[in-house]
Amino acid sequence: MDIIVCLKQVVDPELPVRDFAIDPSTKRQVRDGRPLVISTYDENALEVALQLKDAGGARVTALTLGPQSALGDAVRLALAMGADEAVVVDDPRGPDLLGIEKVGILAAAVRRVGRFDLVLCGCESADWVERAVPPLLAEAIGAACVTFATRVEAADGGLLVRRMADDGFHQVEARLPAVVAIASDEGNRPRLPKVKDIVAAKRKPVQTWPVGDLGVPSVGEGALGVEVREVVVPQRTARCEFVEGEPAEQASALLRRLQDLKLL
Amino acid sequence: MAVQISDEHRMIQATVREFAARELLPIAADLDHNPRFPADAIARAAAMGLMGLMVPEEYGGPGLDPLAYVITQEELARASAGFQAIVTVNNSLVCDPILRWGSEDQKRRYLPDLVAGRRLGCYCLTEPTAGSDAMALRMTAALRGDEWVLNGTKLFVTNGVEADLCVVYARSEAAAGARGLSAFLVEKSFPGLRVGKVEKKLGIRCSSTAELVFEDCRVPADNLLGERAAGGKIALATLDGGRIGIAAQALGIARACLEESAVYAQQREQFGAPVASFQAIRWALADMATRLEAARQLTYRAAVLRGEGRPHAREAAMAKLAASETAMFAAHKAVQIFGGYGYSQDYPVERYFRDAKITEIYEGTSEIQRLVIARHVLGRR
Repeated sequence: MDIIVCLKQVVDPELPVRDFAIDPSTKRQVRDGRPLVISTYDENALEVALQLKDAGGARVTALTLGPQSALGDAVRLALAMGADEAVVVDDPRGPDLLGIEKVGILAAAVRRVGRFDLVLCGCESADWVERAVPPLLAEAIGAACVTFATRVEAADGGLLVRRMADDGFHQVEARLPAVVAIASDEGNRPRLPKVKDIVAAKRKPVQTWPVGDLGVPSVGEGALGVEVREVVVPQRTARCEFVEGEPAEQASALLRRLQDLKLL
Repeated sequence: MAVQISDEHRMIQATVREFAARELLPIAADLDHNPRFPADAIARAAAMGLMGLMVPEEYGGPGLDPLAYVITQEELARASAGFQAIVTVNNSLVCDPILRWGSEDQKRRYLPDLVAGRRLGCYCLTEPTAGSDAMALRMTAALRGDEWVLNGTKLFVTNGVEADLCVVYARSEAAAGARGLSAFLVEKSFPGLRVGKVEKKLGIRCSSTAELVFEDCRVPADNLLGERAAGGKIALATLDGGRIGIAAQALGIARACLEESAVYAQQREQFGAPVASFQAIRWALADMATRLEAARQLTYRAAVLRGEGRPHAREAAMAKLAASETAMFAAHKAVQIFGGYGYSQDYPVERYFRDAKITEIYEGTSEIQRLVIARHVLGRR
């Protein structure tokens, strides 16, 4: 099986809140000088790909989009964890593109990689909490799509996928080629690379494609019907109310209050 | 000039930090309160390649440089100094001398197993009457036919209980001092070797510290490590590397003290404000951070010199002296910042305080490091 895993590099979500900033001119998160990591669910997607490789053999290609200079760590980590090769689409605007803008580029890159049965993505990005890319990408490349998947097995020339649902999980079958969006699960916790594999990762093949070579017409923001009007850091306010009375009265008063606030 | 770490070093650091967060932080306090050998975590460390970090690929290791080694050891010790003690002994004091002085056969026989965690190593130099004056050791080695026969007692052997391969120094020649010593690779299963008293210790309690008793212990002649009578040189040169590993351990403990103190000082409120707003606490944090950074640069520098094959005995001694005294200083400050809670086992800083002390003692006390440094200052090596 040939698998492509889409990896986005984001500002480390574990950074303290004081390091979070928005550039008002671009309406995007400030990335300069902040450590970048692979977006959380994308790492789960990579783990699922590597488990498929461990189980029955697969060739795993890590695909990432962004300024080439800033993508070294994501690519190196993916290769150290076990991806066989990496493709970097060099696009300085990459991280700032909305999902709908970036899908055309990703679809072109996937077609250029050529051999693929399965494209794995994280179910949402850790910076924009955007979930549009996997379904849009599936549409663009004519593949089946499964979202919120936690486990993927190869079965009868297709896939057997477990996906999260409100009432438990759904087990679905999918034909190939497919795009599967991965959510986190205890079974797909990203593995740590062996030290030896970190050292060896620099010997694995990495191709860099300037975005211009993919022949995707550049679309300005808004042209696809979506534009970012405003990005703000939410202001948190805290208020304290005391619920008076005997314990039984307090309990019913608290219940009413929570229902009024639509928290229950 | 400050030593810079590469992108590869940073990735190794991040990986080992994550390993420590997953595997060590959850068990570190319990390993201290209920001392036991962390066999599962050591097995997972071995699977990551942490048990023989500088061993080249041809013998199964990742072949890292000493700077990368130091970086990994700080991360492990940040989570559990006792765990790191087990790891650093296997790396610095066992794999390293085999790599440097071992025959090709010895390297092939032992290194892949030491790297993979199938064997654990220990280093046997100290004796009841030979501590800082290690070259006065009394254990004897007599060649009988194609075997060496070892007699004597080794003390304070880290990993002594679990180790199955011992690097042992014994007096094989009539000459006194360092020139009379040879080094041997002794498997625990060789006849005549047994574990004696196991120490109960102040700190680093998940690593065993034991007496090893050699009674007519028979060692095949081809388990002599390096040349005959070269043991003194091997012991001291090995300790130059070992001291860098202990310096890294001390950095990890000092960093733990600083990081935990910084978090606590911002949460703990007294007199209506976080204690971090008080100058007394700020100065303590600033002093801890400054000494830590200085000690880290000394340690990195010693590691870089070792990696380049340049003389580094002086720098290794300075690194260990500065880092171990920084760990003790930082632990002292941390307990004080935590106040009564710092004295309680509910918080980790009392463990750091107990763990820090050993770094001023083993692999050469602070006094011995000063002696080594002073010899270089005075031009009498």
